[in-house]
Amino acid sequence: MGRTLPSITQTFYIEQEAFARFRRALRRGDQLALDDLFNAARQHLAPAAYAANALPMEIFILAMLLEEHKEVLRLRQQLETLRGAKHDPADGLDP
Amino acid sequence: MTLLTGWILDLYETPGQGVSLWLLAEDGRRLCLQQDFPCVFYAWGPPHRLRALWRWLQQQPDPPRLERVQRRDLFQPEPLDVMAIETAEPARLPELFRLAEQNFPDLTWYDADIQLSLRHAARHGTFPLACCRVEVEENRLRRIEVLDSRWDLDTDPPPLRILSLRPDCDPAHQAPSCLLVEVGRCQQELAIQHPLALLNNLRYLLQKHDPDLLLTAWGDTWLLPWLLEQAETWGRSLPFNRDERRGIGWRRERSYFSYGQIVYQGQQVLFYGRWHIDQKNAMLWSDSGLEGTLESARVTGLPVQMTARCSPGTGISAMQMIEALRSGVLVPWHKQQSEAPKNALDLLHADQGGLVYQPKIGLHRLVGAVDFVSMYPSVMVKANISPEVPPPDGLTPASEAPGLVPRTLQPLLAKRVALKQRRAALPAWDPRRRTDQVRSAALKWLLVVCFGYLGYKNARFGRIEAHEAVTSGGREACLRAKEAAEDLGFEVLHIYVDGLWVQQAGFSSPADFQPLLQEIERRTGLPVGLDGVYRWVAFLPSRLDARVPVANRYFGVFQNGEIKVRGIEARRRDTPPWVAGAQMAVLTHLAQAEDARDLPALIPGALELARQALLSLRRGEVPAADLLTTQRLSREVKAYAAPSPAARAALQLLALGRELRPGQRVRFLWMRGWPGVHAWDQPTPPNLAALDLPRYETLLLRAMESVLQPLGVQSEGLRIWLREGQRVSQPALPQLAHLALPEGEKLALTPVCLQRQHA
Repeated sequence: MGRTLPSITQTFYIEQEAFARFRRALRRGDQLALDDLFNAARQHLAPAAYAANALPMEIFILAMLLEEHKEVLRLRQQLETLRGAKHDPADGLDP
Repeated sequence: MTLLTGWILDLYETPGQGVSLWLLAEDGRRLCLQQDFPCVFYAWGPPHRLRALWRWLQQQPDPPRLERVQRRDLFQPEPLDVMAIETAEPARLPELFRLAEQNFPDLTWYDADIQLSLRHAARHGTFPLACCRVEVEENRLRRIEVLDSRWDLDTDPPPLRILSLRPDCDPAHQAPSCLLVEVGRCQQELAIQHPLALLNNLRYLLQKHDPDLLLTAWGDTWLLPWLLEQAETWGRSLPFNRDERRGIGWRRERSYFSYGQIVYQGQQVLFYGRWHIDQKNAMLWSDSGLEGTLESARVTGLPVQMTARCSPGTGISAMQMIEALRSGVLVPWHKQQSEAPKNALDLLHADQGGLVYQPKIGLHRLVGAVDFVSMYPSVMVKANISPEVPPPDGLTPASEAPGLVPRTLQPLLAKRVALKQRRAALPAWDPRRRTDQVRSAALKWLLVVCFGYLGYKNARFGRIEAHEAVTSGGREACLRAKEAAEDLGFEVLHIYVDGLWVQQAGFSSPADFQPLLQEIERRTGLPVGLDGVYRWVAFLPSRLDARVPVANRYFGVFQNGEIKVRGIEARRRDTPPWVAGAQMAVLTHLAQAEDARDLPALIPGALELARQALLSLRRGEVPAADLLTTQRLSREVKAYAAPSPAARAALQLLALGRELRPGQRVRFLWMRGWPGVHAWDQPTPPNLAALDLPRYETLLLRAMESVLQPLGVQSEGLRIWLREGQRVSQPALPQLAHLALPEGEKLALTPVCLQRQHA
């Protein structure tokens, strides 16, 4: 109501729509991966709005990276746990 | 000279008599007193034009008193030299102003269209139901002294006489057969088929009880117009007005646009010396009732009949006008102020709303809901946000001297907080708990719209930059609260404009959250409260994509067992009562779980409730009224290119000569075939055999999905299971009760039993 600029959610959809041709030409599996990336960016709409960047796609890409990095950290931690379990079998055993 | 004490009932201008003030005296008499009350309006413009206006006014019959004075226009840096035009007769002002404006359209006008009661409030401190002492000489009021304040928490309740009058059914739906009259504990029925007897009886009742308030249902839109028409036909008069010099006041129906919605308001029938309130045409009646309406009238200074029917926006404008009149600030007639130019970057930063996060989807245990108390009004007061004050830096005010808007809001905010605090301290049996609740709800609406009015271009003291400064202050406060929560080790699950949902392992009692509340108050300077601690709360995903969260769709159960739902079907006005009822029944069933871990054990019972609801639909046991969908018309019926279901229902009514206006609601049943709907307010009863049962089933299924999905019940399974209508087999039940839902596992529902699956 009463707003001059599109909201951050509208902006997000506009940016996503801009990649429609790119997405269409991707293979099915790649399309789904791309959708995941956009969903990752969508988790951070409030900070993106607060940032009020003139180039919102920069923020969205950074948000995608952020989620990717969280995933890397999570996997790394899992790997460490598995490695630890391998070196010291007593650590990883359930009681 | 007589001295009288009593309460003000009504106040209006009477030609040749000044102001008529109705006083409910302590001894029970209802007196109409006359008071001299000269009124002023102002003109501003180039000196030669003001001189021309001066000459023109001097030539008018009974010329007004003219004076050159200095006054402040909030939107001008320096005080203005304006011409004050004072009419001795308040009733003459509107006509004189109309003529002056017609002849001098180039001048700027101030204080020209202010409600008489507001002028009176500014000059004498009066308000509806104010207790006052008056000096009277031959029916003329010589002096008035108000004994209480509109900010008092408790006032002596005046002995109001109320007569309620309503038809025995909704006249839009079917022809009423009688009118129900209620005075005190006495009830009476007046049959409609004998209009003459009805008129005589009603006349007798009005004269005998002489009520101060005529409380009706559909009084504005059907009952009173119908009664007055009958009275004319039969040559009888009905003494609705206490003031016999006046006729009935009529206001026409209208549709207007507000907060992105078309709103309809029916015509109004107003009395003089007595109030008429139509419960069905009163804004917010269902929230605040008579107590709330009277509370609004007291604080806004608007007449009771008007308060009952006007939006809170009109109320808050009225309060600002009283404050302006008192402090010598001019009230613009038509605001000239437009938005100052901004560059694109400024616009990008300023044109934002509140901070709305994407919640973490799913079920969460032991979550604290922290709310800012009246956040935006508090920001306005704390950061001194007003059109004439430069915008603050975040929450730091640019100037110490409070502006017009904070001055208006501050006592209102304080009164609401005091009412809320007192209510919280009262024992459960105290009747003031309920009245404090509705009064505080009425004040809440005034506070809420005050923010909106800052950004409304037609509001007299609105200014978009001030409006933007409020949301900016709100965002700053939310972020400080988020930082405080994270510094204290909490996880922030969700932020929604003025509320935060936070969680920390081992934190479960309200006392655990106290340090956080104090820290937020310290960092923001704004009052916060703990809405409660949820035993469990579920944030729901979007219907279209289960991975995408929705900001305001959730349900949960507080530790005291209270259920809170937002955005789901049960809260939506267009949901048929049968669907909403079934959804709430399931939620109430689930609310038995003291801990989220007990929820799976309650799923079979929830499914059984859903199944019972479906069965009763299929057996035709659900009353048709519970299947009604209510939708609002967004435009004229004929303006629809592709008629919506609501428009198709409205077309059925139009064919019967009943035209609906934009903003009016249409009630209808879903039917099979074309046009797919049956408008409820048709005289012909619906063919219940043709009800669109599959559609109702789908509506129910959707409502069930919303509440069961966060528990891990997959929608496809639910669909098949409920449609097939199979009971949970007895051997499966013990197994169900032991499902503990470890992380990463979901319940899969199949027609025969529930199966565990890896997500």
